[in-house]
Amino acid sequence: MKFSATKEKLLEGLQQVQNVVSTRTTLPILSNVLLQASDGAVHLTTTDLDVGVRGSFEADVEKEGATTLPARRLFNIVRELPASEIQIDVDGKNAASIRSGQSFFKILGLPEEEFPPLPKFEDAKVVTIRQKDLRDGLKKTSYAISTDETRYVLNGLLFSFKENKLTLVATDGRRLAMVDIELEIPRSQETDIIVPTKAVTELQRLLTDDGDVKVSVANGQIAFDLNKTLLVSKLIEGNYPNYKQVIPGEAKERVTLERETFLNSLRRVSLLASEKSNSIKLSFGKNNIDITANTPEVGEAKESLAVQYKGRDFSIAFNPEFMMAPLRNLTEDEVFLDLIDEMSPGVLKIQTPFLYVLMPMRISS
Amino acid sequence: MDEKCTQLWQKLSAALKPHVSADTFKRWFSAVELAGVTAKTLSFRVPNNIYQYWIESNHMAALEGAVLTALGEPREIKFISSETPVETNAAISAVKESESSRDAKPSSSFGLNPRNTFESFVIGPNNEIAHAASLAVAQAPARTYNPLFIYGGVGLGKTHLMQAIGQYVIAKKKNTKVIYLSSELFINEFIDAIQHNNLVKFRKRYRQADLLCIDDIQFLAGKERSQEEFFHTFNTLFDGHKQIVLSCDRPASEIANLEHRLVSRFEWGLTAELQPPAIETRLAILRKKARGMQIKLPDEIFEFLANRIRSNVRRLEGALMRVASFASLSGKELTREVIEHLLKDILQEEARTSITIEQIQRKVAEHFDVRLADMTSKRRPASIAFPRQVAMYLARELTKSSLNEIGDAFGGRDHGTVLHACKLVKRRMTEQDNIRQTISFIDSSLQR
Repeated sequence: MKFSATKEKLLEGLQQVQNVVSTRTTLPILSNVLLQASDGAVHLTTTDLDVGVRGSFEADVEKEGATTLPARRLFNIVRELPASEIQIDVDGKNAASIRSGQSFFKILGLPEEEFPPLPKFEDAKVVTIRQKDLRDGLKKTSYAISTDETRYVLNGLLFSFKENKLTLVATDGRRLAMVDIELEIPRSQETDIIVPTKAVTELQRLLTDDGDVKVSVANGQIAFDLNKTLLVSKLIEGNYPNYKQVIPGEAKERVTLERETFLNSLRRVSLLASEKSNSIKLSFGKNNIDITANTPEVGEAKESLAVQYKGRDFSIAFNPEFMMAPLRNLTEDEVFLDLIDEMSPGVLKIQTPFLYVLMPMRISS
Repeated sequence: MDEKCTQLWQKLSAALKPHVSADTFKRWFSAVELAGVTAKTLSFRVPNNIYQYWIESNHMAALEGAVLTALGEPREIKFISSETPVETNAAISAVKESESSRDAKPSSSFGLNPRNTFESFVIGPNNEIAHAASLAVAQAPARTYNPLFIYGGVGLGKTHLMQAIGQYVIAKKKNTKVIYLSSELFINEFIDAIQHNNLVKFRKRYRQADLLCIDDIQFLAGKERSQEEFFHTFNTLFDGHKQIVLSCDRPASEIANLEHRLVSRFEWGLTAELQPPAIETRLAILRKKARGMQIKLPDEIFEFLANRIRSNVRRLEGALMRVASFASLSGKELTREVIEHLLKDILQEEARTSITIEQIQRKVAEHFDVRLADMTSKRRPASIAFPRQVAMYLARELTKSSLNEIGDAFGGRDHGTVLHACKLVKRRMTEQDNIRQTISFIDSSLQR
């Protein structure tokens, strides 16, 4: 196998796939990237057996062929090379010679046959989504995925393809984020699946603003085909809990907030929320919210926000990090905060179908 | 859900309602069923696992509080979801179990023996003050005597009183943070904290206690950094009006190598001494203990034990236990001789500790037919010198007195004189049978 490509193209291609490579592994082949050169392009594949990514870059292929090379090492070399044109020549023993300007490297690889193939998708359920919509949906929900490994079904994002919409749900037991994306889904293609966190993170990196993504689900695996790149992942087995139970009933009070102003105030006040209690208090009065935090022996912070509010006066406390997370990931200028009372969960909404349920914290009197 | 569970669940619900909002209760708890009750755990059946996740994450404190109110004691809470397969459920609860046991350790009843309560403590003139002070402290921690310093010899009830205070306080107010530990454990944890660089956690743990009981504080002697750490812990707790209870085997001022600022602090509150119990108290202890073990013994046996074992309550209980088990195992009648044989080692040990130099002198003088005054006089004809040397030898063997103390007791003699006497007597014992016989006779008559 022999090809040459620009440093830029090669680097871009490697960047797309190298995150999946596991650093610590008992199988050395999994820290390698599979390179397949043919037809003016080189295909790159990496996998950790749970998640796999396949990408490609344009190259001047002199001799077709395939091999695997240590992914991280290759990436580090390519990044440091001085000249823009890079030539890679692999011999029959999988030793790769990398030439660029005055530099020469030789790295040893492993044969192509040892690389585990990505799963096949036969009789798969297939749905097509606009990349932009999916990326937006993931951004609005993925931060709420649980990291508690004992609740493994919550260590992923629910993709519920039903009733002509895709519902994405993430929860960690204290908060829940949910987004609906309008889609045409034939009855036969309806399904509920849980995509693990790692795949969600990688997918967010790969998705762009243009084009569609073809989602195929079969045999406990999911594939996201982004035309030029492909992400394949195992699904989390099990049933996602009935998240609808969490969504509170009708709200008593609604307050409209400017997202950025609110976020900035929260960020400032939270500087004085203690690690232990870690709560900030929102006190609602007529056309005003006081945001306060105080830590005994450290100090306190207070900020007033002028808002449209005509409801009753009351206070509610939230974990500041959990309150800020959705605000950071939304792009809308205005958000609505729906509340019932100080002991019931608060709900953050926007104009489009999005919902964020957040449990209040006990206010210490 | 059987009737017992239904009733208990109603009780729990009633206790729970004030602590969660009406909507929360309706949404999460109305569908919950109490599936099983054991001495340690409560199992709740939930319709699916979102109930478990959400209740665990958000309403656990309220639920635990309700369990405490309804049952008067904490139970481990488990969830059974009709959805989850059994094995994953077990795995999850196993993880929870290890977590909860880890969490439970530093908090409440850690290290307290449930048998050591005020009810099981026998009060006598020897320990009246210590008992009254302990009870006062337990009833109103940090308001009466702070710190409370209890001291006394081994097996006189220091630990019993301290643990009784701890249990009384916990029983009265569930979420009081009581820490009971020996000073040795305190030192070890301190060293561990230094090693692993988590002093902050260590400090946090001890300085947030509401009641800190440290047993055998004398072991702090000579440990300078530990003393310093303890000094600051002490001050933090004292200034925060938290109760401190300490026990020691001697008065604070007599602990060698203990910093003066600690000594003065220990003497700040109330110092209560525990003395060996008098015969009446010993009898009362034996009777109470026998009732507790559900054994019946004739009065004369009690009297015999109380009479012969004076120094230490623990030994007294051990002797009683031995007599009782012998009676139930062999089925023989308990006579004085049988018991004497049975408790030979204890009685001997007991006698040994109670022998005084004066008793020895008297016995030896009597045996050799010399005047008691000769034991301490300066005269030294062989007829007096040898008995005196024998007495010195016996004093060395049978008492714990030092050479100097023995020398002093024999008319202000030098320790070298005593040493010489011991060597001489030992040598003559090996050389002459009649001397060995004489001395062993005096020895055994002393020990009887």
